[in-house]
Amino acid sequence: MKRLQDVEHHETEDLYYPTMCKVTGAKQITEMEKWYELEMPEGQSLGHGPGQFVEVSAFGIGEAPISISSSPSKNGKFELCIRQVGTLTNVLKNYETGDMMGIRGPFGKGFPMEKLFGKDILVVAGGIGLVPLRSLINYVLDNRKDFGRLIILYGAKTPSELLFTDELETWKDRDDVELHVTVDQPDETWKGNTGVITTLIPSLDLKLNTTIAAITGPPVMYKFVVMSLKSKQLPDDQIYLSLERRMKCGVGKCGHCQINGVYCCQDGPVFNYVDIKPLEEAL
Amino acid sequence: MKPQVAFFDFTSCEGCQLNKLNFENDLLDILKHVDIVEFREAMDDKADHYDIAFIEGSITSPSCVERIHDIRRRSDILVALGSCAVNGGVNAMKNLHPIDEVRETVYGDDKYLFATLPAMAVSSVVKVDYEVRGCPMTQQDFLKLLIALVLGKQPPKYGSPVCVECKLKENECLYNRGMVCLGPITRGGCDAVCPSFGQFCTGCRGILDNPNIDGMLEVMTSHGISLDEAKKRMLLYNSNEVQL
Amino acid sequence: MECFSLLRSDVPALIDHLRDFGEVIAPHGKGDVSYSFEVVRDSSDVVLDYNRTLLPLKKMFLPPVEKLMGFSLKNESFEQVEVAIAPRVFFGVHSYEMQSILRLDHSMLSGSAESNYFKRRQSSRFLGISFEPDEFHFSESVGIVIEEMEGFDLFLNEVDGDFQLYVLTDNGQEMLNGFDKINLTEPEIVEGRHFKKKIRYHYNRLPRVFQYAYHSDVWADVASRCVGCGACTLTCPTCFCFDVHDHVEVTAEDGMRQRSWDSCMLSTFAEVAGGENFREKTINRTRHRLFRKFKYITDEEGLPWCVGCGRCTAFCPAGISMPDIVNELIQEDEKAQYHRTVRV
Ligand SMILES: Cc1cc2nc3c(=O)[nH]c(=O)nc-3n(C[C@H](O)[C@H](O)[C@H](O)COP(=O)(O)OP(=O)(O)OC[C@H]3O[C@@H](n4cnc5c(N)ncnc54)[C@H](O)[C@@H]3O)c2cc1C
Ligand code: SF4
Ligand code: SF4
Ligand code: FES
Repeated sequence: MKRLQDVEHHETEDLYYPTMCKVTGAKQITEMEKWYELEMPEGQSLGHGPGQFVEVSAFGIGEAPISISSSPSKNGKFELCIRQVGTLTNVLKNYETGDMMGIRGPFGKGFPMEKLFGKDILVVAGGIGLVPLRSLINYVLDNRKDFGRLIILYGAKTPSELLFTDELETWKDRDDVELHVTVDQPDETWKGNTGVITTLIPSLDLKLNTTIAAITGPPVMYKFVVMSLKSKQLPDDQIYLSLERRMKCGVGKCGHCQINGVYCCQDGPVFNYVDIKPLEEAL
Repeated sequence: MKPQVAFFDFTSCEGCQLNKLNFENDLLDILKHVDIVEFREAMDDKADHYDIAFIEGSITSPSCVERIHDIRRRSDILVALGSCAVNGGVNAMKNLHPIDEVRETVYGDDKYLFATLPAMAVSSVVKVDYEVRGCPMTQQDFLKLLIALVLGKQPPKYGSPVCVECKLKENECLYNRGMVCLGPITRGGCDAVCPSFGQFCTGCRGILDNPNIDGMLEVMTSHGISLDEAKKRMLLYNSNEVQL
Repeated sequence: MECFSLLRSDVPALIDHLRDFGEVIAPHGKGDVSYSFEVVRDSSDVVLDYNRTLLPLKKMFLPPVEKLMGFSLKNESFEQVEVAIAPRVFFGVHSYEMQSILRLDHSMLSGSAESNYFKRRQSSRFLGISFEPDEFHFSESVGIVIEEMEGFDLFLNEVDGDFQLYVLTDNGQEMLNGFDKINLTEPEIVEGRHFKKKIRYHYNRLPRVFQYAYHSDVWADVASRCVGCGACTLTCPTCFCFDVHDHVEVTAEDGMRQRSWDSCMLSTFAEVAGGENFREKTINRTRHRLFRKFKYITDEEGLPWCVGCGRCTAFCPAGISMPDIVNELIQEDEKAQYHRTVRV
């Protein structure tokens, strides 16, 4: 148990003050989602790993946890992509180049990259789940020879909800990326796969001993993706999931993000499946 | 340009309007943010279009229905003010009785001269964008909504019971004083003003989503009131919200 | 450790003496039948015999509503909040309350150590006092006796209406310098103060009970009575969850970011934008509350995170009793064990 006398004054932190970051790029990329590029005050790097998040804030409005969408290999600046669903996110919709955003973080545990080197990476992204996984994907692409295959499964509700379509095109064109995109509800122009994301899994040809799966999506998705991967015999400890919970502080204090006894903001948001399997509240 | 706002009242005691006029200190600040173009009790201007229309009172007659539709057509944002407008409030108690009986009691032999409907929340007739609850609504709460709208932010929604604010103020719980309080299932946001002054909560801000009604009746009756009385208290402001 | 005798009638003089060491905070009467910790203005107002305060002493270190920063909307800038580090003396604190502060230290200082909490917690001194357990206290069942003196600088043990004053630390010693109304004496053991409420098992057996309690029927029964008011958690001395919200002045130019105590018993606690609620039912929330007290942190730290103050029970409008729930879980576990053995 941590005691008061074990703590020195200089070891304590002002946990709740944001760093004001300038928006250096902003673009509404779908009806509901806007992409932002931000710069730290002195151009220093944010120092994040793929899968980590920041707390974004606007004064008078509030704060919200948002994944970092750019790869750590991108220097000086970092990117976010925010879906407009509530109080803060709808206000951020109006933020343009030159505006200032409050940022705290990076927080949480991202993907354990040291365990991913040399492995085949299977990315499973549902909807806005592509945002944090894009950080991982671009990291793999920037360090391409350190990894084996890169397989990306991406599902969205409709074609118009697909994020980062330019990047999807480049990924599709690369022969060192295997990209499979599906939509639940196709429109007339859609020529690709239709159906939920799990329909993409059965036909995959995975090397079981070297494949690491990284999954992010809406809450309902996890159970089904894990089931499909298990029926392909992918071992549990090769599955990583990034979970979403209500968050306020991002630093293991406010209690909102608990999944049974673990804190999503500290012990996660990226978890190894083995660690959350016993948690009833996890999936 | 500042948003053009207007206030309208329907069936209510107009307690909420009076409450607004009490602002004094804040009124000038408010006028920095908005232009009041219609305010039944304060001025006579009329306009074709409102950025924000504030509605007080419940809808109780066919002419009310017509008028609220008209206002809705002319307004970008429509806000229900006070419990009469938000959920029918005290007016809705009449809905617990057959409508003919109600007319007879109120108007006697003239009952057929007055068309009347069950007392309805504004939202059961037209789309309501936001609400300020309470009977009367508090100035503070109204200002919060106004500021939020001015900032382009969604106004606060209150999902916690009155007890939360009551506890944070370290009030002695009225149950410990032998009273029966509706705080546990009543939507907060009032700063627990009644319990703070030793007055039990009557539920004027409406009942929380998914309340444990049976549990609450049990709490109330085990603190010394009859089941009948407990139900009456629960219905006082919430006849349209609670099924007993 | 030295022990002195002190007459009850001389306690106000002691309180006045302690004011040399900082603001003195002590229990006062509140309302008809309640108590609260308040800053002492007049030492004769301090209550020596009280069952429990409405809010725990936690409020002095983690205030119910706290300004985290001020901000200006116009300049898109914020202003830091200075947390004063004034010396404070906490007088008349019960042993379970002191234990709750030690647990709170862990919660706020492990992982990222929070500076706001740390500053308030610095330079505080504690004087404990014994108490007569009422029908709600059960701290002995979680390993905290009335005379547990850990964390205190001084401790007042009531003996036949007067007190024995224990000096436990150098700070305690210092606080008595120049106070002459005490006389050296032999410590006495006080008999006859008993806890009326008990958990049937020793607390070190509870983790095992909770290991099997997740799907117990007890939760549904509790949930049917719980009205979800949050009183249990909002008055709990070891709960520390909070919410953060921005408050804007009428001018729409300035405002502040605040945090306020929150409760995992409230239905919106784990709800996210879009309507998904990760602990949607009262059953889930009641269970979470109890598991937070007896399993999750306990597994890691080896101590129950409940200190047996009885607040959650005393202040629950539905009369839901924490120790009764635990006892029901124990009983259910015994039955299950019995059936397991019989079958073998
Ligand atoms: C680790 C993590 C990463 C995320 N990454 C992204 C991302 O990259 N892009 C994106 O668009 N969204 C992301 N989200 C979801 C995003 O946090 C919510 O959409 C956002 O909090 C909604 O805030 P609001 O103020 O607009 O909505 P409101 O409904 O008004 O929410 C009020 C407050 O409740 C909390 N809250 C509400 N919903 C959520 C939620 N889903 N998760 C956590 N806290 C919530 C926040 O503190 C929020 O400020 C992420 C969530 C988590 C937990
Ligand atoms: S007085 Fe009413 S609102 Fe306050 S805690 Fe008691 S029941 Fe809740
Ligand atoms: S105090 Fe009682 S009724 Fe209120 S949330 Fe806690 S257990 Fe439920
Ligand atoms: S977000 Fe506050 S504890 Fe995790």
